[in-house]
Parts: sequence; C-alpha cells; structure tokens
Amino acid sequence: MTLGAPAALWGLLAIPFLILLYLLRVRRRDHPVSSVLLWQRSAATPAYRPSRRIERSLLLLLQILATAALVTGLARPAVLSRYAPGDLLLVLDLSMSMRARDVSPTRFDRARAEALEAASRLRAGRRAGVVIAGARPELLVPLTSDHNTIAAALRGLQPWDVSGDISGAVALAAEHPLGPGGRILVWTDAARGPLPALPQAVYRILGTSDDNVGITMFRAAHGPDGAEALLRVDNFSARPRRIPVVVTRDRTGVYRGTLDLPGGGSRTVVFPVTDSGVFQARLGTHDLLPGDDVASAVLDPAPLPAVLLVSPGNPYLERLLQVLPVARAVETRTADPRTWGAFGVVILDRTDPGPIPPGDYLMIGAVAPNVPAAAVGEVSGPRFATWDRTDPILQYVDLSSVRVARALALAPQGGRVLAGGDVPLLWAYEGGGIRALVLGFALQDSDLPQHVAFPILMANGLAWLGGGALELRAGEVLQVPAGGAAGADLIHPDGRHQAVPAEEGMFLLPPLTRAGVYQLRGPGGAREITVLSADRRAGLIRPGTAPAAARPAGQGGRGQGRGQLSSQVPLWPWFLLGAVGVAMGEWILATRRPGGDV
Amino acid sequence: MTVAGAPNQSGATSKQRLPPAGTPNRGGADSKQRLLDPGFLQKLETLSLLSRKRVRGMQRGERRSVARGRGVEFDDYRAYQPGDDYRYIDWNVVSRLDRLFIKLFSEEEDLDVLLMVDTSASMAAGHPSKLLLAKHLAAAVGYIGLANLDRVGVSAFATTAGPRLERLRGRARAGDLLGFLERLEPSGETDLLSAMRRQLAASRRRGLLVLLTDLFDPRGYERALLLARARRFQTFVIHLLADDELAPRLAGDLRLVDAETGRAVEVTVDAEALRAYAAARDAFFHGIERFCFHHGIDYLRTTTSVSVESLVLRWLRQGGLVR
Repeated sequence: MTLGAPAALWGLLAIPFLILLYLLRVRRRDHPVSSVLLWQRSAATPAYRPSRRIERSLLLLLQILATAALVTGLARPAVLSRYAPGDLLLVLDLSMSMRARDVSPTRFDRARAEALEAASRLRAGRRAGVVIAGARPELLVPLTSDHNTIAAALRGLQPWDVSGDISGAVALAAEHPLGPGGRILVWTDAARGPLPALPQAVYRILGTSDDNVGITMFRAAHGPDGAEALLRVDNFSARPRRIPVVVTRDRTGVYRGTLDLPGGGSRTVVFPVTDSGVFQARLGTHDLLPGDDVASAVLDPAPLPAVLLVSPGNPYLERLLQVLPVARAVETRTADPRTWGAFGVVILDRTDPGPIPPGDYLMIGAVAPNVPAAAVGEVSGPRFATWDRTDPILQYVDLSSVRVARALALAPQGGRVLAGGDVPLLWAYEGGGIRALVLGFALQDSDLPQHVAFPILMANGLAWLGGGALELRAGEVLQVPAGGAAGADLIHPDGRHQAVPAEEGMFLLPPLTRAGVYQLRGPGGAREITVLSADRRAGLIRPGTAPAAARPAGQGGRGQGRGQLSSQVPLWPWFLLGAVGVAMGEWILATRRPGGDV
Repeated sequence: MTVAGAPNQSGATSKQRLPPAGTPNRGGADSKQRLLDPGFLQKLETLSLLSRKRVRGMQRGERRSVARGRGVEFDDYRAYQPGDDYRYIDWNVVSRLDRLFIKLFSEEEDLDVLLMVDTSASMAAGHPSKLLLAKHLAAAVGYIGLANLDRVGVSAFATTAGPRLERLRGRARAGDLLGFLERLEPSGETDLLSAMRRQLAASRRRGLLVLLTDLFDPRGYERALLLARARRFQTFVIHLLADDELAPRLAGDLRLVDAETGRAVEVTVDAEALRAYAAARDAFFHGIERFCFHHGIDYLRTTTSVSVESLVLRWLRQGGLVR
C-alpha cells in the first residue's frame, strides 16, 4: 500500500491524546449513597482499573477507530496492483553517467533490472516498447505484446560513452499512442538538464552522488614544433581533488604528473611526444565512474593517406601535397583507374575520368558520371553564402571571403551539400563504395588557394576521404571503403573482435559506442579508429530531479517508489466513509446509553 | 430468616415523611396518627409478640414464664411434696394411679421488648427512607408489646447508643413511644458493637431484642449480634434496605460519597460493574443469613418499597415475631 500524503499520518498522534484525555478528564459526578460498603467490596472487579476503562469503553474504541480511519484516509492510501495499467514504453538512458556505481551494481544495471520487472508486469494483451536515449533517441523495439522480444532487447543494452538525449527519447516515446492507462517509464539519472514534464511519463531517477573525475579530452597530433599530446581532466564533484596522471605508450611512460583540481574545475596539460602510436592516459583515482578514468589517443606517422594527383598541372596542389603529412604523393596526367588501388585518395583535378571504381576521390572542377551530381552547365561568380561549420571537412575553415569566378552548375541528388549559395560549391557523397568530395570550381578560377582555408580544407578533405587514422564521436556510424576486400576484423578497445563484412565496396561499421581506439584489420592493413567521448559533460554524474508536473517514481538507488510504476487503486474514499460511519455509530451509541459517556 | 417482598418500583408504602428537625412532639394522639393510622392500630390490637424463649418477667403478664406456678397454661406433673398447694393436685391422676401428683402451670409474666433503631445517616436513604420504615416498624412492634402489657424499651443508635426510652408498659404509654420515635433523625456513623454494648449494659433483664438497621457497619455486625446472643436475648434482626441499594440505578463515571463517613469511591458504572455490585450484595446477604441461621438469630430483610402493614401483618408473622 502506498500513501499519497504520508505527512497526514502525523494526525495519528491525536489518538494518544484522545486516550490521555479520556483517562484524565474529570467528569465524575458526585453521587451520594447510603454506604460505599458494597461498592468497596465489589472493587476487586476490573471495573476500577483505568485500563479496564479503555478495554471496555466501546465509545473510546469507536472514537479511536474513527480518528485512525480519518487520518489514514487523509493520507490518501492506495494499493498497488502488480500489473501495469496499460501499454508501456520503456525509456532507458544510455548515457555514460549511467555506468556510475553509486547504485549497485551500476545505475544502468539497476535501471535495466527494473525495466525487465516492469515489462514482466504487463497484463495480457498489453504492449510494451523500448526507446533508448543514446547520442540520438531511437525506438529500439516498437510496441509489441511479445515480452520475450522486449526482454531480449533490454538484456542486450549497454550504456554508451555519450550524453544520452533523454529529452529527445521521451519526446519520441510521447509520439506513440499508448491508449488508456499507458505510461512512459523513464530510467535516467537526469544529470544533464531538465526533463520534459509529460502527464503520462513516470520518471525513475537513479543515482545518489556526484563523485567523479574524468578525462574529457586526450589528443595527440603533429605540430609545427613536433608532436604533442593534450590532456584535459575535469573534476565533476564539488570537492577538490588531487589526481595523479600517467600517460603511456606501449607500456612505456610518456608523462607522469599530479593535477590539483578544484571542485567543479578542470586542468589541461600539454606535453611533447616523440614516437607515433597509441597513447593511453590513466587517472590514479577511485571514483564512481571508472570508465572515464582511462583514455586513448593515436598519433599516426602519416595522418593522411597516399594520394594520386591526376591533373593537367596544378602548382597549388603540388605544393600543398609536399607540405601535408600524406603517406605518399604521386602526380600523373593520365587517368588510369587500374593504378588507383594503391592510393588511399585519388585527386581528379579538372579531369574527366569516366566512370570511377569504388574508392575515395577528391574531384576539383570535374564530376565523374557515376556519382549523382551532374554538371548542368556553368555559373559565373557564385558565392559561398553558407557552409556547414559543424562538418569535419569544414572544421576551422572560413570561406566567407573566398571569391569564385565561375563554377560548375552541380545538380546533386543525394549526398550532402557542405557549402555554396545559388549552386552547390562543395558536395560530399558516399555510396556504391565510392566516397567523393567534389569542389565545384577549378582552383585557378578562385582565390581560394590564397586563403588560409585552402590547406585546412584540403587536409580535412583528405582525412575524411581516407585518413590513416579515423576519429569520430561515440555513437556515430562509420563507413570505410573496403578496397575490394570481402571483410575485415574490428577490434574493440576491450580487445573484443567483431567480423565486419563488406557491402557494396564499403565496410559499414556498427555504432562505436565506447570511447577508445578501435582497430579495423583488413587484407590491405590495419587502421586505427579513435572514438571520442561525445561531449565534455558526459562525465557529469550528479543526479537531477524529475519535473514537478510529472509522476516521480522515486529517487536514489534503492528502488524507492518502484511501486509507482504499477497501477494504483485508491483506498482513501473507503477510509473516509468508514470514519464517517464509525463516527455516526459512536454518536448514536453515546446518545442512547444512560449517562452518555460510559 | 425471612425476606419481605421483592423490590418493586410501585412504591406502595406510607407517604408519611419525617418531621423536620426540631419539630415539637404534639402528644401521643398526634404521634399515633403520624406513625400508625387508626385502622392499622385496630389490626395491631389483635397481635402479640411471640417469644421463642421462656422469659422471666417482673410482673404478671401475658407471657409464658420459666417460673411455674399460677398461670393457666398446663406445663407438667410432679409428685406431690409436703407444702405444695393441694389445690393443684390432679385428682384424675390420683384416681388412676393412686398416687398424688400436682399439676404444674407456666406462670404468665410480662416480656421485656427492646427495640434498637439505627439512626445513622445511611438510614436516610430510600423513598420513603429506611429510618421512617424503621420508625413505623418500631412503632408497630412497640404498640403490640404495650397492648400486651409487655415492657417496651426503645433506643436509637448510630455511632454509640443514642436517646433511649425506658421500659414502657400499657397502651397509655403508646404516645410516649411514638413521640420518641418521631423525634429521631438520621445522623452519624454506624457502630453497632459499641451501641450494643452500652444498650445491653443498661438492660437488667433478658428479653426480646428487635434490631432495626441496614447493617452497613464497616466494622461488621457479627460481634454485636454475638454479644446480644451471649446475653441470652432473643434477637430479631430486621434488615432495612432501600431499593437503590439492592439495584443501584447508576451509570457512568461517578464519585460515590458515603453518607456516613464522607468517604468517596470512584467507579465507572457499567453493566459489568453492576454485576460485580450484585455479586458483592448477594455475598453480603448470604453472609448475614448464614450467620443468623448458625447462631439462632431471627432475620428479616425488607426494602422501603414494602408497606408497613404488609411487613407486620404478613412478614413479621411469618418470621415468628408476632402472632
């Protein structure tokens, strides 16, 4: 049984007062009698013990009963039905913070166990579905009456190293009609912002502590003064911490230090590294979220792939390829696709090669006929009106002052336009085993080579097309050209191997949900894939609260309020009715009995 | 022992009330009208007190005496001895046995009747009060004694022996008797033993002792009655009770105050308490009855709802006090 207003139970304190008043009240009437001799002789009976007055006083008992019933009724009692009242949509937060161990064994494990229990309480004929809040909300299992499907899906879930979009997941769940009594049951720690208040949503907030220090950035890169690594550590708790840090490469110490972190603060250290390879940073701390105490970074000796430049002659590109850290650069004026397999990227500069085989291509002022972006003529003076600054290809690229004399009038079908105005000027495409980046104008027809954006754009483009080391955020999906291979072996950061078949000349990797360094081994060699934590706030584990207008299902780690996930049958009307009935009975009895107060 | 009538609610009793304190005695005729109405007096004329024991009086009366002699009631024979009054020789026996026997007669003497009336405060209870009933009964018994030339004495007692009326004899003293009774007022605590000691110390002759009381003596009644028995008094206890004492009509949380001692007892009167009271009451009555039976004491229990006439003409007759 649950109580809607348990504070009303303080009213039960009135009962001892009632008894006390009954015992202490001076209501004895003096009554003269000829002799008390016989009364004294009968005094051995229990009629004279105060306790007997309680035992025998039906009226007092009725008064106590009426008071207890009234108070209990005001506390709004209800009994929980084991079964859910209607359809259920189970929303689970897959944030990295759900790995926190302040709830045993972890917040997520507890959430999953409760979700399984909730699914088991489904009445016959009722449906359940699963929505996950990863980097993006996703309907994992649509509403179904098959409980085994639900259970299997829940058992296969693991948190991601991301900040889960729990609000989006709840909104996605709310789009599904659940019918009368339907509920959206949400398990989250609400660590990263307010939750949407929906009448049908029942929030189960997990977590009790904010004790976490984590690595929020670890990168290694070549710089003008040599290679260096950047490490940032955030203290997500309120108390200051002193954290030892060790960075190793192949079990050899590279950096060792101690960071003093104020409560809620962060420290960033930059230190030089000499050799390329996989670096691992480890914090010497014991907190509630061990997953972010270790991070890896890859320093590739040649971050950019081997490049074949097919061009009638382009001094800008030739010089650039001498500067960029490409594995190899070869120039040719003849387009012979049979030789292209030895290069990671083929640059087709103002060259029409005809249909191209699967591979990675940078096309400048030209478009292959087998990519869906036909050139329907030329336009004069196009402008870079907009460009997608969030795309990795345009990261740190400023195209605002670039002038273009003329460009191809591209009419892309599919792919994504990264920059342009009236016509697309930079277009990216992936499909059919082909990954292509198309610049819609010749470099000689613009002043782009005179801008700082040029080398950055080229470096980003080459890295995107076929960089030696791949880097992406946790939860993102990655496609890698197969280069004619039938399959590859994906090695996870924890050493687990996963076979990845090639489809249409591409390896479609599964979502890489854990931060760390993956390795994709194929016939042509191995490529490291660095998966970064989705955002800096992923290590924030301080639990939030359910919105006031929503139905709270308890907070903390002991499953309080789990019963709120069940249907409730209110009992308070019966208690109030009983109180009124007993009070009336007491009144009738009191007015009918001689003496009135016996 | 006799229990006079069952407690009833009819209240079919005399409606006479006690005169207020200080009311002057208006003489014997008035007193008779107050305590005994003329019709009842006529009925009392036909009655006499019955003594189970032969008593020795001072004057000739209408009572069998232990002294044998000039009475008219044949008692026994014995052999003639010189000096005997030859007028009492039974010649019929002489003719049959050829020996001289003289007849012995019980000599009729007067009876000493002592009426002890409890005037303690508890006797004010009842409607009419127990004291008024006691007065009526004392008046009736006393008048029967006076009418039969018995010597009647009356004493009132509470804590100790109170006012006392010395032995009266003859109808002419009925006014004194009734006047004395009328002046009695309830007050004080009951101390039966103390009163009995004083009363018996003042009595030279044994006789009939009629004790009118409610027996509500916290010290007990046993020693007082044993004392009277030891002094060879034929004792007749008339136990007077009010109806409310038999079946209290009480309910609720009460503080019962003793009319004599002022002592209070707090009780919560409900059905169970009343059952306990009834059990204590029955045990009290049973104790009295057993005690009186064991010691040859006559006992009559009555309530104020029983009429005096019924008590005297029926229950006292049945109890062997009058005939």
